Amino acid sequence: MATASAVATEGRFEDEEQCEGSIPARSDDVLEFLDSLDAYLVRMESLSSQLRQGWFELASARHSMGPYRINRVLLDHKDHSAATYLLLNDDGYNERSNLQFRLCKWGSPSNTEETMEGKHDNSNITDHASDSLLRRRGAIQSPVEESKDNTPTKTSTLEEPSSPIQSERLKSLSVFGTLISPKLRTAQLSFESALESLVEMANLRSSVLSTYEKLAKELHEAKAR
Amino acid sequence: MAGRAPIAAKSSALIAMIADEDTVTGFLLAGVGNVDLRRKTNYLIVDSKTTVKAIEDAFKEFTTREDIAIVLISQYVANMIRLHVDTYNKPVPAILEIPSKDHPYDPAHDSVLSRVKYLFSTESVASGRR
Repeated sequence: MATASAVATEGRFEDEEQCEGSIPARSDDVLEFLDSLDAYLVRMESLSSQLRQGWFELASARHSMGPYRINRVLLDHKDHSAATYLLLNDDGYNERSNLQFRLCKWGSPSNTEETMEGKHDNSNITDHASDSLLRRRGAIQSPVEESKDNTPTKTSTLEEPSSPIQSERLKSLSVFGTLISPKLRTAQLSFESALESLVEMANLRSSVLSTYEKLAKELHEAKAR
Repeated sequence: MAGRAPIAAKSSALIAMIADEDTVTGFLLAGVGNVDLRRKTNYLIVDSKTTVKAIEDAFKEFTTREDIAIVLISQYVANMIRLHVDTYNKPVPAILEIPSKDHPYDPAHDSVLSRVKYLFSTESVASGRR
């Protein structure tokens, strides 16, 4: 931090005689760089926590369902497209500074704003289902009731899909059978949250590297004078 | 030129993974798994039997595929092919090093942070002041 400030100060003395307009830009670059870097590290901490939660829930599901029920052998090897993918901005595709990733969960860009904060008590599952349900029959009741019962070892059948998103989630879970542990569902939500963090990190990475390149170039030019 | 990868007209792309079984399984549950008609997947599960060459080949494949925008790689796996990861310099796909169950994240080994630490070194300041 101190070194970066010294770099900014150094630039101020050298550039002062030449072009006053570049001085604020350089300080801004340094600040942007430091902010992006800090945000990247904070987001990494958050990701680590989300992944730990997901691994724990996956282990719990494996414990209740058995190790042969959650196994790499069961992974779907038939050809299928990813339900969750990324959208890239088209402006300056090959320029790092203009690159923005956007997560498209379960085939719908609008679902990128759905948060998984309610997964801890699962009480928001009904809210998510009802919010996205404009054309379906009704909200799902059984998962909320089951989660409120706090019976982590109780397995549940696959409920009837009440939205396209839920049906995609269930399709993904169905790889491991029809009777699955609620922990597997919560693990799914944890990893969805982790995906959101990862996409933010990808955007922050672009920002860090683009401002770094700018600063490194400015330093190089300052040395050359 | 017709692209073989199933990319929609709006620059949609996949997330590739090179990680341990639990991490890959978790992200597959989140719906990122893709298998094309040739049975090629967008993930590689790394275990004790996976060779370094297999990891390198997967890394090269994922970083050259046009339909992949982010490559997730466990940091301990990235350490096995550190030279390839650190010399990779393209904006897309973005390489993100993630922790694994048995190997927590170490910022000292992150390729992004090691690349930018030059700005925080005393050498960069000292050389600028000459």
